[in-house]
Amino acid sequence: MDEVATKIVEILKKHMKEPRDDISLSTELQDLSIESLDLAMIVFDIEDSFGIEIPYNANEEVEDFKTVGSVVDKVRELIENKDGSTAAAGA
Amino acid sequence: MRNGNGTRRVVVTGMGAVTPIGLTVPELWEGVRQAKSGVSELGGFPLDDLKILIAAQIKNFDQKARLKHFQRDKIVIHADRYSWFAAAAADEAMRQSGLEIPVANPYRAACIVGSGAGGLVTYETAYRDLFIHNKRATHPLTLLRIIGSSASAHVGIEFGVKGPTFATCSACSTATHAIGLAFDYIRRDMVDVAIAGASESVINYGTMKAWQALHVLSPQGCFPFAKKRNGTVLGEGAGILVLEELEHAQKRGANILGELIGFGLTSDAKDMVNPGVEGPREAMRMALADAGLEPEKIDYLNAHGTATAINDKNETNAIKEVFGDHAYKLAISSTKSMHGHPLGAGGGIEATLCIKAMEENWVPPTTGLDEPDPDCDLDYVPNVGRDHDVTYTMSNSFAFGGLNTVLVFGPPPA
Repeated sequence: MDEVATKIVEILKKHMKEPRDDISLSTELQDLSIESLDLAMIVFDIEDSFGIEIPYNANEEVEDFKTVGSVVDKVRELIENKDGSTAAAGA
Repeated sequence: MRNGNGTRRVVVTGMGAVTPIGLTVPELWEGVRQAKSGVSELGGFPLDDLKILIAAQIKNFDQKARLKHFQRDKIVIHADRYSWFAAAAADEAMRQSGLEIPVANPYRAACIVGSGAGGLVTYETAYRDLFIHNKRATHPLTLLRIIGSSASAHVGIEFGVKGPTFATCSACSTATHAIGLAFDYIRRDMVDVAIAGASESVINYGTMKAWQALHVLSPQGCFPFAKKRNGTVLGEGAGILVLEELEHAQKRGANILGELIGFGLTSDAKDMVNPGVEGPREAMRMALADAGLEPEKIDYLNAHGTATAINDKNETNAIKEVFGDHAYKLAISSTKSMHGHPLGAGGGIEATLCIKAMEENWVPPTTGLDEPDPDCDLDYVPNVGRDHDVTYTMSNSFAFGGLNTVLVFGPPPA
């Protein structure tokens, strides 16, 4: 796991009642017994850590939040977009 | 089991409190016995330009230790401090009551836990984040922490209460309104059990500035009924009772601590700040009439006694109008002299002290009463508590806006 993935797993563990050590990219979030309120806090923490904004609505089922890997992919994409737009703005 | 007037009887089977002089009811009682002062130097946040530098803050409350066994409410640890106090006090009261947790008959239980202001500390933190630190968002739990009914919801979730669950809000009468409403719900057969009281935790920079601007805080201390009194001292905490229908309690062999026998509630409809004489007087009369008790029967009165110039004088006059000659024989004290003024939570904490006074036949003192104000010439049990036969007690709560509430307690039914 790279830096982004490690950081995200750390954040997930922080919000779990009983943190586990066997979390991989294919782990489903629902298997971590993360509930909607936990997810709001996790999103908040991830946004803070990476300086990004995650489009997320608690009323919708979101594919991006299915597995740990999909969260990592989404965050990586948002970081790249952010860097891209910063670079564009700089050009 | 019904009263002469046909209503069901209501007893107290559990009590819980979190205060600056004791983090449980036994500790609070010990603090009162020792005439402890909860007032100390203000701290815990930047004081900047504040002029009032004292408060009765709770400084050693460990929410993680106190609430770690909570089973059903998974996020109470992430709640506002006012909800922690409520949860801790409710937990103490429920455990003392010996009721099943979660409650056995959830739709026949109520949870009325009020707060004068809700999560004010969270508000300030969120606004500092947004307006000063230019943060992009508030913490996701901000809303849930702030709302004034969150403490009642947290407590209701943990103890599995599915009947009437909400908060009361009437400034310094909040807890007393909550207890009075719960009393009424049990009497009219809506529920058999109720968790009722209030919690408050508002001491932060903004609150201190707001109170300072109203010029009713003392820079020195809380000295009710004393000549030197010059304002109240902000406090914080929670006071919660478990109320139960008499037969319901007897059937399960509960230890009955006392009976709630009267509730009076009026409004001055006159002034936002200055309390009247008439409104408090009528509330006390209403509570006595509700209890079917002659004024002479009251042995101990826990006064509202905020140590503001006008409250103590007007409360004294109202007591004289209700009790006549007995006003001079009655033991009266303001325990705010020790635990400070916990605003909405006051009536809950003071109700527990009334019941302890009956249990132990000992009346708490009014501390700091070296020289009484000539306008306040009753027996306020100055400085040291004393042995005193206590069969019936009254607890007064009079709030900003002229909102008056009074409870009357009697001994456990034989």
